[in-house]
Amino acid sequence: MHRLPTLLSGIFLVFLASWLGLVAYPALQLGRLTPVADADNGGTLPPVYGGQAIAGQRIYAMEGCISCHSQQVRQTSITSSDVERGWGVRPSVARDYLRDSTAFLGSRRLGQDLSNIGVRRPDAKWHFVHLYHPSAVCDGSLMPCFSDLFLVRKIQGQRSDEALDLTGADAPKEGYEVIPTVEAKNLVAYLLSLRHDYPLPEAPIKKTGPAK
Amino acid sequence: MIHATLPNQQKDSGLKPVDNRSIDASVRLPVIILFGNAVHWLVIASLLSLIVSIKLIAPGFLGGISFLNYGRLAPMARDLMLYGWATQAAMAAGIWLMARLCGCPLGGDKGDGLGGMLLRTLIISATILWNLAVLLGTLAIFAGYSTGVEWLEYPHWASSMLLLSFLLIGIWSILLFDRRRTGRAEVAQWYLVAAFCCFPWIYGTANLLLVWKPIQASAQGPIQSWYCGSLLALWLLPVALASVYALLPRLLDCNPNRRHLATLGFWMLLLIGGWNGMDRLIGGPLPAWMTSAGVVAGVLFLIPVFIISINLLGMPRNETIVSSNFPVRFFLMGLYALVLVGVIGALDSLPDFSGVVRFTAFTEAKAQLWILGAVSLPLFGVLYEALPQLLGRECWCSTLSGRHYIITLVGLGMLIALMLLGGLFTGIALTDPTVSFLNITSYSYPFHLMECVAQLLLLIAALILGVNITRSLAGDYLLNKQTGK
Repeated sequence: MHRLPTLLSGIFLVFLASWLGLVAYPALQLGRLTPVADADNGGTLPPVYGGQAIAGQRIYAMEGCISCHSQQVRQTSITSSDVERGWGVRPSVARDYLRDSTAFLGSRRLGQDLSNIGVRRPDAKWHFVHLYHPSAVCDGSLMPCFSDLFLVRKIQGQRSDEALDLTGADAPKEGYEVIPTVEAKNLVAYLLSLRHDYPLPEAPIKKTGPAK
Repeated sequence: MIHATLPNQQKDSGLKPVDNRSIDASVRLPVIILFGNAVHWLVIASLLSLIVSIKLIAPGFLGGISFLNYGRLAPMARDLMLYGWATQAAMAAGIWLMARLCGCPLGGDKGDGLGGMLLRTLIISATILWNLAVLLGTLAIFAGYSTGVEWLEYPHWASSMLLLSFLLIGIWSILLFDRRRTGRAEVAQWYLVAAFCCFPWIYGTANLLLVWKPIQASAQGPIQSWYCGSLLALWLLPVALASVYALLPRLLDCNPNRRHLATLGFWMLLLIGGWNGMDRLIGGPLPAWMTSAGVVAGVLFLIPVFIISINLLGMPRNETIVSSNFPVRFFLMGLYALVLVGVIGALDSLPDFSGVVRFTAFTEAKAQLWILGAVSLPLFGVLYEALPQLLGRECWCSTLSGRHYIITLVGLGMLIALMLLGGLFTGIALTDPTVSFLNITSYSYPFHLMECVAQLLLLIAALILGVNITRSLAGDYLLNKQTGK
């Protein structure tokens, strides 16, 4: 142990064990999971993201949403509270993340879990207002305002269909409207596509809690 | 103040160890640059942590500006703490200890010639590169180029710069060990060799698979957890322990006899440390055996922690030395923090308990205690010990050192206690689905409020250290000016 080669080979072998188990194995096994056929509509599961949702992942990463939001419903053998809270109909499994560029699993829940936010809140308008001023729709929310993802502009002719329906102090001045930028639209498209509500061979859905 | 003589001169070896003065001269500049910058990043990271914690009680604070949102500032603070402060201070401590323990100046005997000068220039450039990468990486998160991978938010170019810079600095600790003149290797040296070998492997693999060339996301979870666990247990902790193993017995002036215990602790830490991060994913989307491995590793991690702490805390202590010597006090507190980390980690890994407290402040408390306690406290100890020796004079203002010690401990203790309690409360509330999430958020308000106070104390402590080190180094500059005249 007093010679460098002996010490180095010892360290190498011991370290290799965890590296093989937690890096090489996942890379070779979990990294090669494939989509499964969807019996209902002939597509594949997990569903493919649209172009906007793929771009939205970038916004999710850059705004650091992962600092407060997890994207995983835990196994019921560990805790049933995630499912009981309505955060998902079944626990998340590795295959669910197949379409993501980064797995935003998260480690802290200062906000709610988002793995099924697309099912729980399917309305894009709600998301826009919520992102613009969270505590306007969720009183007492800790979430910061993402007003930078929106544009306040003068109404040209007719009010845009995309304009946010804001009330009270949030409402823009007379003759102005608040519309989402491309970034906001992409982010919301991504949020709406977040759903782990389909059955997979390793994660069937029990009949008790059907998705809305 | 008593200082440690590293190494003890009676060691047998073919080559005569070089005297400490010329060893210190060979590493002085890079070590001081690394330590100095590390402390400055610590101050900035503490400031950001304070802002982040204020945002939890007043979400509107500095609001409406996308740069200053919680989601950007929180990873900036964490990464500065990890790479700006802890890793940089660990490199400084590692290089200084290794050169001293090996009785060998950096760059060998040719330290004075052209080769030595080139080498020093290379190492100093590497330290500058490291700080540049930390700065640019942090600004990149600020500007919205975060990768969104926890603890690896720096964009690919910044992380490649960090890795390159580390390799240029770290290789010397291995080469110094290979050329040592002190005969039988010490336990501290094993820890340093292990740490300096593991970091490039850990950081390189994780960046390659998660940032540079991301693999399919279904496999990213375990790799990310492995990274977080290994970074702490196989890089930062071993350097912190090397410092304690090298300095504590010498400062306490006693002989660390139980070498077999130290050997066992070393190998157990290396064996289990790599699995240690899996408790972050208990119940998560991975094969069941990995969850089980996380549970087992979390509990087994107590073994090396207990062995090491029995080994080091069990040494006979002269209380007058302990009360008068700040490095010793920091080392002892660091060891107590490590024991607490082990206990919290084991609790946190038990499936039923994990089901309650995961995702709350409880698990975050463990990460904070790792970084700010088990790792940072021993690194403060080395800093307090190394700087006077490198400068060749007593340089610390002992009043400031004393305040730094007390305020750090109070702030850290308060922060951890609040996060553990707050986490436990929110965790228990979350298990009851009839209590709404927003309701739970309002429960945690008092905890978040007090956490701000704790973060403020930690910022004050960091500022005191910053003033103290600036004063020391500026004093050196003024002294040189006087003698030069």
